[in-house]
Amino acid sequence: MLTLNVVALPSILPIFSAQPSNHQFNYLLANTGRRKLKVTRPRANFWDSIRSGFLKDNSTQVVESPSMLQEEEEPQPEEFVLVEKTEEDGVVEQIIFSSGGDVDIYDLQTLCDKVGWPRRPLSKLATALKNSYMVATLHSIQKSPGSEGNEQKKLIGMARATSDHAFNATIWDVLVDPSYQGQGLGKTLVEKLIRALLQRDIGNITLFADSQVVEFYQNLGFEPDPEGIKGMFWYPKY
Amino acid sequence: MAAAAAPMTIKMKACCGYGGIKAMEIRWATRKENSNEVSTKLKQRIPIFISTNPSHINPQQLRDLYGSCNHSCHRFPKMDKMGKLVEPVDIKRLTIALSHSDLLVSVFCNKVDVLASDDDDCGNEREPNKGENPPVLGLGDLLQRVVPLPVVSPSTGMLVGFGRAVSDHGLTASIFDVMVIPSLRGMGIGKMIVKRIIRYFEHVHENLAINNGLPNLVRLFFKACGFGDDIMGSTTMMYTRTLSTHIECDQMVKCAGRKLLLVPPLNMDI
Repeated sequence: MLTLNVVALPSILPIFSAQPSNHQFNYLLANTGRRKLKVTRPRANFWDSIRSGFLKDNSTQVVESPSMLQEEEEPQPEEFVLVEKTEEDGVVEQIIFSSGGDVDIYDLQTLCDKVGWPRRPLSKLATALKNSYMVATLHSIQKSPGSEGNEQKKLIGMARATSDHAFNATIWDVLVDPSYQGQGLGKTLVEKLIRALLQRDIGNITLFADSQVVEFYQNLGFEPDPEGIKGMFWYPKY
Repeated sequence: MAAAAAPMTIKMKACCGYGGIKAMEIRWATRKENSNEVSTKLKQRIPIFISTNPSHINPQQLRDLYGSCNHSCHRFPKMDKMGKLVEPVDIKRLTIALSHSDLLVSVFCNKVDVLASDDDDCGNEREPNKGENPPVLGLGDLLQRVVPLPVVSPSTGMLVGFGRAVSDHGLTASIFDVMVIPSLRGMGIGKMIVKRIIRYFEHVHENLAINNGLPNLVRLFFKACGFGDDIMGSTTMMYTRTLSTHIECDQMVKCAGRKLLLVPPLNMDI
């Protein structure tokens, strides 16, 4: 597979802080200072992907050879702080993205309840997560001020994908806690999945969207019923 | 924003392995009588060997089958003006896909039962399997002439049908790459393949919702196998964003068949 790096303009991603009424938002980048970067198998590839987002030279078209990743390599887990904000009372809240797939199944069920999904057997849910090609999660960590350092960790978003590791992937179970929706978190979850899949040359990315979120996925680059053809389902007879 | 909840399941059954389903068997494939085929050369009833044993599959044979069926692993493959695939399946990637598929179904039949109906089949049929002693007059052949026993085996037969499925073993399974060579279509082989896949998931992981993973032009075929629209009314969507539809700086693209898919950038602007 060919990878083309098409660079239009030099790009240095800015660190900027907006200041709406009550909160102080710091938009942080993946490779700056105090990120909690837990990469269990550090490899050049992670930094390649960082670099590819920060190319500084203009007017060059780089054609890379087919993906350097060994085909059998599992997706490399990454974890970093996506958003950090400080409340007026000094509580610092961080939203952490993780692709390590470390999900507490009870937390997940609570989250599914919050978004109004029908209940599914926990064991099946756990098995499905374990056998998914990728599981991306968003956790909120709230730290109270002071030396106590009480931390509250909460699961606020998840998305997963199944795949044959070569050509096809299906994205399932994309959800974000309703009180955290509208911030672009769902977009981040899905985009990270797509990026990770495409990096591994998995080009057929499919999902089955509820009617109210079709537009959400259209904005992310998904086309409904491409070429007019629908997916079909077989259900077990009860 | 919630989307694409994997379907509900009812009961759990922790079991591994088949527990009663035969891993391979010989069946009869019968051509429908109301077929439009005028040619009387095509046989009405042939024995086929259907197997879920992955070791029966030879990657080169499989790649040739993809070619004969003009089937690509890419949803949007590169095609010439006649609609024929430009490049064969990448064997290395195909092997990876096979090793990560939960079920592989392969169908074989005797070479003599396959009659060339177009150029593709011609090429494949005459080509002997690599690394196999050409059976001149084996005992099987002799027996076949005396008593028409349905004797077919993967080693002497020709790979004529295939299907595979990928699952998370808990909630979902997706079927990919179901194919039968053109001259043997309309005989129920494809349906057998799909039904075999369904039976496997019914038995091993109860209450899985199975989908035909990659929407393509075989809606009627899957309907005949008992598939229908999603009961939750979901819309099937595929990632198709390319450079031409979305202009931004510093874009990376990935080749997927004839599409150059745009890789979402790394920046964290929220």
